[in-house]
Amino acid sequence: MGNIITVEKLTKKYSTYKRGSGFKESLKALFIRKKVPVIAVNEVSFNVKEGDIIGILGPNGAGKSTTIKMLTGTLYPTSGSIEVMGYNPTKNRKAYVHQIGAVFGQKSQLIWDIPPVDSFRMNKAIYGISDKDYDERLKQMTKLFMVEDFITRPTRVLSLGERMKCEFIMAMLHHPKVVFLDEPTIGLDVIAKHNIRDFIHEMNKLGTTFILTTHDLEDVEQLAKNVIIINKGAKVFDDSIQKLRKVLGAKKIVELTLQEDLGTLDIPGTSILERESAFNITVSVDLDQISINEFMTKLSQQCSFSDISIKEMPMETIITHIYQSRDK
Amino acid sequence: MKDKRLKYKGLRMRRYLNVYKECIKVAFASASTYRLNFILNCTIMLLGDIIFPLITVLIYGSGAGFEGWSVYEVLLIQSIFTMSTAIADMTFHGVMWVTMDMVRNGNMEMVLILPIDTMFILMARTFSFEGIGLFIGGLTVFVVAIINVSVPSILMWIQFIAYFIIGVLVMMGIALVMAAISFKWVGNSRIPEIFSNIRNFGKYPQSIFPKAIVVITSIIIPVAMIAFYPAAALLGRGNSSMFIMIIPCFLFLLFGIYLYRHMVRLYQGVGG
Repeated sequence: MGNIITVEKLTKKYSTYKRGSGFKESLKALFIRKKVPVIAVNEVSFNVKEGDIIGILGPNGAGKSTTIKMLTGTLYPTSGSIEVMGYNPTKNRKAYVHQIGAVFGQKSQLIWDIPPVDSFRMNKAIYGISDKDYDERLKQMTKLFMVEDFITRPTRVLSLGERMKCEFIMAMLHHPKVVFLDEPTIGLDVIAKHNIRDFIHEMNKLGTTFILTTHDLEDVEQLAKNVIIINKGAKVFDDSIQKLRKVLGAKKIVELTLQEDLGTLDIPGTSILERESAFNITVSVDLDQISINEFMTKLSQQCSFSDISIKEMPMETIITHIYQSRDK
Repeated sequence: MKDKRLKYKGLRMRRYLNVYKECIKVAFASASTYRLNFILNCTIMLLGDIIFPLITVLIYGSGAGFEGWSVYEVLLIQSIFTMSTAIADMTFHGVMWVTMDMVRNGNMEMVLILPIDTMFILMARTFSFEGIGLFIGGLTVFVVAIINVSVPSILMWIQFIAYFIIGVLVMMGIALVMAAISFKWVGNSRIPEIFSNIRNFGKYPQSIFPKAIVVITSIIIPVAMIAFYPAAALLGRGNSSMFIMIIPCFLFLLFGIYLYRHMVRLYQGVGG
């Protein structure tokens, strides 16, 4: 399949004012403010193929959201070029946004006081969707998301997970070819995340291309075919998810609250990353050497613990791994 | 080719009308959800703005007044101002509040991703029925005032309606300029105050102001068109220069639209 998105040397610079903390600094800032240039995105280039799911990963403040905002045409780049389905998002914005959908995980398109179904009708009018297409599409998506029960309740009474499902329907009613998702699973519980990921998979099977930003590695592992990692505005990785796994290794981070001092951990494929106290330790588990199941069995043989939490590798560690693999 | 373009324009117009219809439905649904808030807001707006003509009555009752203007003539100007404000509050004043809020909170993206004119959708989405009480109040004072002045001719009425509409457009221009300023002057709570103070020059007969103020309120920020010129047309106190004053009004509106669109382009957003 051909490229649906081509981004070349995309750069976004802006200026902000620097101010110290405390009353004295606030007083000083009333008269003198130091202007600080910020390079949010620095010469980022990448391509996205039609029907792909691309994950843009990066720590907070890396430039992921700025990149996606420029891709949606809501922010103007300082330099560089973007081409999505033959459109330049900064020119002819209205025609371009008619072809795309967007969900911003921390912002809402839904109207707070009225039921989501009325907000959907608003988008029907905005996108000029015919009655037939609207009914078909709404039926298809409400069924996929199993939201028939609550789309007629006022938005303000819905849970975050329910609202997010409605946000997706709102963004996809007009059958966009490309959908941009900015932190779509932020703040959601495991079940809600699972539902959202299933929905993305289903829509992708029907031909929709997704570009999602996240700092949740699990989102990328479960959804993306290709991954772009951005750190401090610059692209540090652009390859397949398999390649990323190879670079990182299949590792999980396990946080343990022990009931007794463990001393050393004698389980192959594991290492203690951090020892907060004698009873709180963080362990790295290499899944290529030992499964979580085996690890749990061996751990319970060695010590007793009162709490356990299995997490993905932190973003900072991922970036460090990538830099290390580049140096090699 | 020409037919195709006309057909496209027609479809576009129909789509925009549909969107506006949906927005009115939403405004009605919101008003009916918070009934008490709606009734209270209507009443407060009515009391807040209707008190002004009452002060005029009190001033004239104590023997003072605006030289050359009877109490009913001044009431006519102020009632037209009230009606114009009510229409503006219902249809487009929301653009200023919502823009200020969206720029501050970085929510403008949610509008920019829609395939519709940003200015139009923000005006439509902030349609509010709350100005209806104010309009009825203004209309009541208008009827009382018009009964007590000489009967206007049909031509005067036509002139009045035309000026009144242009006056509402001037209000739109001011709202857009203020909204545009909020892109640069983020989160400044004084913007609505400046907005209100500029408009207030339109509440009085222009003859009470020094020449410099008359030039500013007629040509630079033509607030005189909001109420004074329409009232002057009804009272038969207009002159030929009033026709020329239409030009700065349209120019001001165009400037407001241009400035707003330009500032939308410069929108920076907030951290993700």
